[in-house]
Order: sequence, then C-alpha cells, then structure tokens
Amino acid sequence: MPHVLHSLPYFVAAWLFFCGLYGLVSSKHLVHAVVCLAVLQSSTYILLLGIGYRVGGAAPIFTEITPRALTVDPVVQALMLTDVVVEAVVVALLLAMVVKAHEKSGTVSPDELSSLRG
Amino acid sequence: MRETVRTRFFLVFGGIFLLLFCYATLNLPSWGYYRGPYGDVVSRNVVYQRHATDAVNAINYDYRAFDTLGEEFILFTAVLGIMMLLRRQSDETVRDVGKVADSIRLSATVQSAMMPMLLVTVVFGFYIALHGQLTPGGGFQGGVILASAPFLLYVCENTDAFRQITSHTVVEICDATGAVSYALIGLASLVMGLPFLTNFLPLGTTGDVFSSGTIALISAAIGVEVTAAFLMVGYTYLEEIITGEVPEE
Amino acid sequence: MSTPYALTPLPVAIPMVGAALIAGLRKWLSRRLADSLGILFAAATLMVSSALLAASIHSPGVYWFGNWFPRGSVVLGIGFVAEPVGVGLAVLAATLTLLSLVSSWRLIDSGANYFQPLMLIFLAGMCGFSLTVDIFNLFVFFELMSTAAFALCGLKTAEPAPLQGSFNFAVTNTIAAFLVLTGIGLLYAITGALNMAQIGLAINTRHDSLVLFAFTLLTCGFLIKAAVVPFHLWLPDAHAVAPTPVCVLFSGLMVQLGLFAIARLRFVVFAQTFANHEVQLRSIFLLLSALTVLVGGLMCYAEHHLKRMLAFSTICHSGIMLFAIALGGPLAFAAMLIYLLAHAFIKAGLFLTTGILLHRLRAIGERSLFAKGKTLRWTAALWFLGSFGLAAAPFFLTAAGEAGISHAAEQTGNSWISWLCFVGGALTSAAVLRVGMHIFFGWGSEPITDQTAEVGELPETAEEDQRIFWYQYAPAAISILIPILLVAFAGWMHMVEDASVSFTQQAATLHLIYSGRSMQVGGVNWMAALQDSGLRGLFAWALGFVLACTSVFRVSLTRRLRIGAFLESGFSPLRAMQSGHPGDYVLWLTIGLASFGASALMLLRS
Repeated sequence: MPHVLHSLPYFVAAWLFFCGLYGLVSSKHLVHAVVCLAVLQSSTYILLLGIGYRVGGAAPIFTEITPRALTVDPVVQALMLTDVVVEAVVVALLLAMVVKAHEKSGTVSPDELSSLRG
Repeated sequence: MRETVRTRFFLVFGGIFLLLFCYATLNLPSWGYYRGPYGDVVSRNVVYQRHATDAVNAINYDYRAFDTLGEEFILFTAVLGIMMLLRRQSDETVRDVGKVADSIRLSATVQSAMMPMLLVTVVFGFYIALHGQLTPGGGFQGGVILASAPFLLYVCENTDAFRQITSHTVVEICDATGAVSYALIGLASLVMGLPFLTNFLPLGTTGDVFSSGTIALISAAIGVEVTAAFLMVGYTYLEEIITGEVPEE
Repeated sequence: MSTPYALTPLPVAIPMVGAALIAGLRKWLSRRLADSLGILFAAATLMVSSALLAASIHSPGVYWFGNWFPRGSVVLGIGFVAEPVGVGLAVLAATLTLLSLVSSWRLIDSGANYFQPLMLIFLAGMCGFSLTVDIFNLFVFFELMSTAAFALCGLKTAEPAPLQGSFNFAVTNTIAAFLVLTGIGLLYAITGALNMAQIGLAINTRHDSLVLFAFTLLTCGFLIKAAVVPFHLWLPDAHAVAPTPVCVLFSGLMVQLGLFAIARLRFVVFAQTFANHEVQLRSIFLLLSALTVLVGGLMCYAEHHLKRMLAFSTICHSGIMLFAIALGGPLAFAAMLIYLLAHAFIKAGLFLTTGILLHRLRAIGERSLFAKGKTLRWTAALWFLGSFGLAAAPFFLTAAGEAGISHAAEQTGNSWISWLCFVGGALTSAAVLRVGMHIFFGWGSEPITDQTAEVGELPETAEEDQRIFWYQYAPAAISILIPILLVAFAGWMHMVEDASVSFTQQAATLHLIYSGRSMQVGGVNWMAALQDSGLRGLFAWALGFVLACTSVFRVSLTRRLRIGAFLESGFSPLRAMQSGHPGDYVLWLTIGLASFGASALMLLRS
C-alpha cells in the first residue's frame, strides 16, 4: 500500500489524461474540446513536475543558498516553463479555427459539422 | 457513431489505457527522490560556469537555448496562424460600431484605480523580464505581464486606446524582431567560430543585472516577442468581436 | 569544429531568419517580392543542406549547441548529428519546399503574405526534426512542424470544411505531441537524461512495464503522425482542405518523418530493450502495417475526391514503409529510405498535377472533372507516369525499395509481405489510373461519386488567367522525373547502404555522438538485392489497369465482373470510421493506443 502512495501524483497525471481524452470523445461543443486539450496538457505538466521533485529540496535559485544545497530538478521546470506560454497561444490558434467555423456555418457542435464524412 | 456507443467504447479502452499508465508508474523511482544526473550537474555548476543564479533560466537560455529558440518560433507561428485565420477577407464589410460596452458599467472607483495598476504592471513586467538570470522570471513571464497591461485598458472600457496601442505596426515589427534577433544572436556566435548559440558575451559578476552574457540578452529578445505576440492575438480577437458579431445593446 | 560542421545548424537557422524577415516586412512587401524571398531562402537552405550532405557522407560528425560538450557520459547540451540519413531528409525537405513555393508563385491566395513565412517555418521544423538526437528537441521540432501545418491547413477560410479538417488535424496531432511528451517524461525519470544516446546507454536491456509503456507512448505518438491505422483518420480530412503546395509537403515528407522518428528511437534508445523479443515486436508492427496497407489501398480506390484519394494512397505506402521498419535490420532500413525518397517525389508530382487540374478546370471531384481534361496532354502524361511509380514499375525508384523490402522479408520468413506490397501498389495505381481515364480520356460512363467529393472545391487561383504556367508544370515534371533519373544513374545507392548500416547499429551511433567520429562499419553489398525487382511492378500496374477498366466500363460489363465498381462503393464500416467527427477520431486513437500498450506489455515483458 505505501508503494502505491509513492506513485499517487503519477496516478493523478494518468487520471487527468484520461479525463481529457474522455472530454474530447464526448464533447458537444468545439470550445469545450479545445479546453480538454488544455487538460491533457496539464496532465503532462503534473507528470514532469512530479518527476523532478525532491522532498525538502529548495528552489534552484542560488541567491541565498550555495550550489551544493539540496534543490529540486531545474531541468523539468525549464522544459515546462516555455511550454506553458507556447501552448496557450496554440490553444488560441485552435480557438481561432472554432471562431471561423462558427462564422461560416453558424454552429459549434461537432455533430453538425459533418461535411467531411466518408 | 452515436454518442452513447462512442462513450461506452471509450470507457473500455480508455480504462485499459489508464490502468496501463498507473501500472507502469508503479515502477518509477519514488516520488520526491529525483535521482537523475542532469539536474544535479547543472545545479552544481551554473553559478560557476555562467555567473547566473537562476538555474532554470540558465537552462532555458544557455544549456538548452536551442530548444527555447524552437519554442519561441512555435509561438511566432501560432500568432501568424491566428492572424491568417482571422484576417479580413476582401468581400467582408467592416461595420464600425465604436466602443464595445458592457451592460453593467464599472464603478468609478475601479475606473480610477486603473491607471496606477497599469503603471505598476508595466514596471513589474520590466523588472521580471530583466531579472531572469537572477531570480525566477525571464522573458516569457515578463512578456506576458507586460502584455496584460493594455488589457487593463480594455477591461476599463477604454477600447479605443487599446485598439490604438495594439494595432500599431510597431507591435508586429517587434514580434518579428524578437524572433529574428534570437536567431541572429545564435548566428553571431557562428561568425566568431563558436557553435550556434554559444554564450560569447562577458559573463560579468554574479548577482548583477548585467551578468551571465547572452542569457540576459536572449531573455530580453524573448520578452519583446512574447509581449508583441500576445498584444497581436488580443487585438485580432477583439477586432473579430467588434467587426463580426455585435452584441445587442 | 571543422568548417563543414559550422553548416549544421544552418538548415534550421536560415529558414527561421527568412520567415521572421518576411513576416516582419509583410505589409510592405509586394506579393512578388515576398514570393521571391521565400524561394530564395528555400534555395539557400537546399544549398546548405546539400553541402552538409556531401560533408557528412565522407565523415559524419556531431554538433553541440552552445559549445556544451558531454562530461563523461552526461550530456549537457543539445546535439545535432550530421550523418547522411538525417541530412538527406533535410535535403529532401528543402527540395520539396522549393518545388511547392515555385509552383505557388503568384497564383495562390497567399493569405496576405502569411503563407511564405509559414512554409519556411515548416521547412525549419522538418530539418530540425531530422537532424536532432536530443529527445526533447525532437518534441520541440515536432510541435513546430505541427503548428505550422495547422496554420497552413486553414489558409482557405472561405468554406466551413477547411476549418473542420484542420481542427481534426490539430486535435489529433496535439494529442500525439502530448503522448510523446509523457513518454519523454517517463524516460527522463528513469535515466535522468534527454539525449537519445545517453538514454539508450542508461536503459540498456531493461524491459519492465515502465520502459514498455514509455515505448508505447512514444511510438503511438509518432504513429499518429505517420498516419498508420487506426491513427490515420486525420490525414484525408487535412488533405481535402489544405492548399496544394501544403499537401505536397504533408504527403511527401511530414508523414514519413513520423516513421523516421520511430526508426531513430528504435535503433538508438530502445536498441537493446527488445534483444530477446525481436519476433514478438516484429509481429506487432507487421500487423499494424498490414492493416494500414489494406485499409489505405481499399479506401484509396473508394475515394472520388482527388486529394483524399492521394491521401489514402500515402497511408497505403506509409504502411509499406512501416513493413521495412518492422522487419528491422540494415537492408530493410536502406530499402525504406530509398522507397521514402521515391514516394516523396512521385506523390509531390501527383499533387502538383492535381493543383494544375484545380487551377485549369476549377474542380477537384472525379465526377465534376469527367472528360474535361482531354486537351491537357502533358498533364495527362505526368499523371499516368505517376501511376507507374505508385505500382513500383522497374524504371521507378520505388521498385528498388520494394525489392529490398521483399528480400528482407524472405530472409525473416515473411514472404506474404511482398504480396501485400504488390496488392497495395496495384490498388493505388488502379485508383490513379481510373481517375486518369475518366478525366483525361473521358472513357466509360459517368463516375460514381460520394458525399465528400465536392469538399474543398474552391479553386486556389484567381479566375482571370487559366493558362497553365511553366512554373506549375516544371515542379510537377521535375518531381516525377527525379525517381526515374535516380534509377538510371544508380551509383549513389551504395552510400545509402553504408549510411543505413551505421544508423541501425546503436554502437555506431553512440560512438559518433560521444566521440564525434564515426566508427568503421563493415561494408555490405546488397546492390543485387535492390536491383532484383524483376517485372513485379509491371504486373502490379497491369492488375491496376484491369481493375480500373472494370470500374470505368462497368456499365458494359456483366454484374459479376464489376469488381471495380464494387470496390469503389467502399465498405460501409470503413467509410463510417472516416466520419469527420473529432470524437470518433480520438476514440480510434484510444483504441489503438490501448491495444498497442496491452500487446506490448503482454508480449514483450517476459
């Protein structure tokens, strides 16, 4: 049982991934679908940050602490940091597609936009 | 496929995927005990090698600067895409509807508090953007904060000022300049015979604002680009609202 | 750092600088000037990557960004590896981009000069993707390629279908990116490294559930990009709505880069993980490839929208290339590279020809174009030559690739693969032939059509000038002729062999990355295997011709012989899969992901 608790943050990441996919599959509104992609994104961030964490570790900013102190991993934070800002704008790109689709066809429901069937 | 069928199938297969995920993560090292060498090697050496105290930004703008160049261009591309998608087609008529007003007007207190808040935001944004190599912050975060300042204008109903600021050609040029200067900083080190994106400027004293060589410079370029990008996105969406569907008064 | 290697970052840096320049000066550049700048930067990238290719064939090397050399076995920076396979793909990317930019000179609605910067960024993404050996850098360039692709797909905004196609494309490929990122995170947790060589060293022979799950995530993410069944549903929608030059890049190279990434990971990161489970791993991939070839081929024949038909044929040929990766080993990989090269140009030529048809005849569906192309003789010639290429006729380079795959298949006892490749080639060339007979000769009765055949039909060019310009013919003709010329002057193929041997051996790659010099590998001679295709391609073409005739002349045939017409109506389950609804696509993605993961865990763990 304690072993499972050690992996709990990773279970959270897995559950979020599942929820995001579920939202996408059952979505009835394109904006909702785009936000589900943001949920998937959060799942990857939780996984990455969980991997880099150290119990009792300080932030990797060396103004007050020496470089030999115990810090959390700076690499995953660096990977994530740029990703957050960039993915925000990619989500904006997808929302622009949704806005345009609504403008041209008057609907934002994926069920009704079905001209590409077959 | 009907929706209920789809959902049921998904619960089965998605459930299998979820179980696999959880089963696999049981083999990960215990949470809270990061083991790997990469982060530790960088943490131990960053102050000595680069005179920067913020290891995260040193990784972003020096050790893995090429990744950040790619990410910056993803941002640039997405903004180009938004501008292209929402561009005005030649056959669309533009209805000028002036200000977009909310149905509930903001109180005078809020409106008068806007200007000081705006100034604080701008100063804070510059501070964060310029101190990336010393404390958490840097170009991306500073850029987002700076870009939020004109949005305060929009929230407080001064949409004309917002449109004037964000539609100015300077914003678009700044976006491209930020993107190209990052690439040019990299090419500059090529000219010196060093690999692309080497930190070739003098490193200065640790703790100074003007330290750690190209880290500060790249951070500033990114700040310019991110600010301009968000302003352009905001402007494009706002124009869509103003000239597209108009809310009933 | 010797001089040629200063060239290594340039295939990425030059298009990026060009794109930022054109985008910054966008409002002041005339259309012609922006186009010229785009072509100039693409040509510069082509020159630089060709020079790099010449240098890397003689002595491959590794390039460390920021001057961060590895410390012991810990890699601190990001590395590009200048070896013939990756650099060759960069050259291919630059060539295809140049051809598409030339063919769109002045004719296509460029979206207020946004089109050229986006194409250049797409090129930069593809070049970076092929050259990098850092796994997170691979992800960044994957995202860069994808974002540029999403934006380019939405260029034609005047009808709702483009937005639906690009939305489905964006959703599916973003999920792929997140799958890849999760896989990278898991590998980082085990090994603490982001460089592929270091990860490969650290994983060694470990194959517990965690490594297998990371393998699943990474492979499925790239299989989505590679449009392998059941992850393929986004590709026809994206092709139906994207402008022609963009389709050239999608089908020519972007999809195949997914396969390349799978190969790179398989040979560097997971090289020893499956040491005792080669047969089981092979069977999983062979099943996927077989499904892909069959579904791709059958749906290709059942489509009546020219671009969707070519998209399904890309899926079919992607399956053939996945066969090569499945078989493993240097011969199969060399065959895959040759096939990739040939297919890229043939598909580019066919798409560019479709662009000419759309420009001149203002339609894209088979029924709308029926008998309208009778005066377009040169276009017809290119189209029918392309059909020979898809069937792997002996004078096309695809034949050499298929011969290599068959040889490798026989070595591992899977001769049925050659038959499946034969069938796939026959089906796709039959589709091309049927369409050609209908459009250029006007044979037979009015073609069958379906609901999607009229989507994306708005012409891409202005109404005024309907002549076909030399800069529309030339890229199409060049694309179709290159695979023929590469067979006629086949001296370069032994370089592919050497490159393939060092690519597929993890020891050689590790040596290259850590010491910067290449390891001497034994020269193997398979020229015989690659040139021994015989006339199989011609038989495939003949079978395709017969099938196309049963479709075209279906009215005058007895019921039992109307095989073509029967295949053309498609199979309703397959058509139902392709529903255009993003929820369905994500469901099939999840089904594929769960099945792959479960079979990997069950078969490869013990």
